[in-house]
Amino acid sequence: MLYALRKAVYGLLLILGVTFISFVLMVWFGPDQTYTLVGKNASAEQIAEVRHQLGYDQPFMQRYLDYVTDLFTLRLGSSNASGEQVSRILARTVPVSLALMLPGFVLGNLLGIALGLAAARRRGQWADRLISALSVTGMSISFLVIVIALQVLLSTPYGLNLFPVRGWQVTDLPSYLSYVAVPTLSLVLVTLGYNTRFYRAIFVEEAARDHIRTARAFGASPTVVMWKHVLKNSLVPIITRVMFSIPLVVISGSLLIESYFGIPGVGKVAFDAITSGDQPVLKAVVGLTAAAFVLIQIATDLLYRLVDPRVA
Amino acid sequence: MNAERRIWGQLRDDPAGLAGLVVVGLFLLVAMAVWLGLIGQDWSAADGARWETPGPDHWFGTNILGQDIFERAIYSVRTAFEIGLVVAVSSTLLGALLGALAGWYSHSWVDGAILWLKGVLDSIPFYLFVAAVAFALQGKGWAMHVAMIATFWTTTGRLVRAEVMKLKTREFVLAARTIGLPDALILGRHVLPNTIHILLVQASIAFVAAIKTEVILSFLGLGVQDGVSWGLMLAESTQEVLAGHFSNFLAASLMLFALLMGFNLLADALQDAFDPKQASQ
Repeated sequence: MLYALRKAVYGLLLILGVTFISFVLMVWFGPDQTYTLVGKNASAEQIAEVRHQLGYDQPFMQRYLDYVTDLFTLRLGSSNASGEQVSRILARTVPVSLALMLPGFVLGNLLGIALGLAAARRRGQWADRLISALSVTGMSISFLVIVIALQVLLSTPYGLNLFPVRGWQVTDLPSYLSYVAVPTLSLVLVTLGYNTRFYRAIFVEEAARDHIRTARAFGASPTVVMWKHVLKNSLVPIITRVMFSIPLVVISGSLLIESYFGIPGVGKVAFDAITSGDQPVLKAVVGLTAAAFVLIQIATDLLYRLVDPRVA
Repeated sequence: MNAERRIWGQLRDDPAGLAGLVVVGLFLLVAMAVWLGLIGQDWSAADGARWETPGPDHWFGTNILGQDIFERAIYSVRTAFEIGLVVAVSSTLLGALLGALAGWYSHSWVDGAILWLKGVLDSIPFYLFVAAVAFALQGKGWAMHVAMIATFWTTTGRLVRAEVMKLKTREFVLAARTIGLPDALILGRHVLPNTIHILLVQASIAFVAAIKTEVILSFLGLGVQDGVSWGLMLAESTQEVLAGHFSNFLAASLMLFALLMGFNLLADALQDAFDPKQASQ
């Protein structure tokens, strides 16, 4: 109980910190929107009116308090740029980003675990060396280079020309698959090196423990040892990595992929909101990401208890 | 002295790490030659035709403005080292300082505040943070550096904190305390030097991360503001490749890859050399 309370308080402090930093950077120092909103030849009164609506005439603390209360009461308001309700914008763009990022995220982690297991099982042999060398190679290639190269190789007449060059006209399953293919492959390639290396290190560490030696001594086959003893006992670090990378991959990863391929997802919307100073949108994206982070930390704790009785 | 010799010995027996060191060294020489004004100075001169193919005048061809791609790629080595060095050194020092404070005063309010700050920074989506910093600083060229330093220190901080918590129970630290040395002196002279193995590895990792991040930020228009970098060249190339001009893309991506690979190999070798237990695994 005390533990749950401590977690909740810490989560709240974290959200306050994130909202404070985002407020200072994005609202206090952010772009001034007055002149994008008032019409041409506005009078001084009209300008003052718009500044009042935007809250620019309020003192710092008052504006921050308004910012936080709006967020906690889920009064997200409307975009300053388009007038569309922020909740509508999120409902429109978040599913696109999830549909865009999820296949690559899942595949990247599954392949990383598979390659990590394969390497750990043949530790020191040529297969392990090859996988490790390829991981370092993958880690040395820029995200942008991978995206450009795959686009040229798969979507233009200079390569195989199989998929659409850019955009997101998804109506049914085949169109979804054709638009998601290149982004998915990019995401897998860009994360695979880091994932494989991370998972290999975990499996190697686990495989060196006494209980694995005991299992071997009792005659368990290498496959059983790897799947049942090594993989199962490594679930805690695996869960940590997967859970904590969800918000970052979905927001930060989608930002680049969506900008590059012109896909209307939440990363693109957030980025446009920063460059145009669209506070309501920003407030919602940053606040909800921070809240998601805290929820994920709590969910991760619960998952630990589920997979590892030692934690509880 | 003894430890240094051991680490050198380890590094000498690690062909991949040695290769990494040579590659990084070569790039550093190029960067210094650019700094001294010996090469790569004509990166902005538009003295060719648009999209010339590679030839004796322009070794890697020219871009849309007729600028020499070889000159631009070479000058970008300097840009990469400037960003990499500034970010790697500053973020590692900041991580060392905050990590050492948190570890030394562990479970006090100082520790709590630093851990909270780390938690907050880790919870903000990175590119949104950088974009916000870039805007808050009104398009200043070093906005990108500030944003990276402000977020990259957290890993170093966590590792240094754990190491300092271990070190502060050791006899030599207790002895220093017993004879009444001030905390700052013990931390600076006796504790932090013993975390150098963490700092060197983290600095090389931060260098790689800084250069990779610069590429993405430059593509998003938040990176290098004046000058040229591999990121800007790649951003330029995103339109060119669709029209079949690959010189910009190939020059920037290959040089970028070589430097990153060199640094990654060097970082791995350093890690192995400092931690023989891990290396044997």
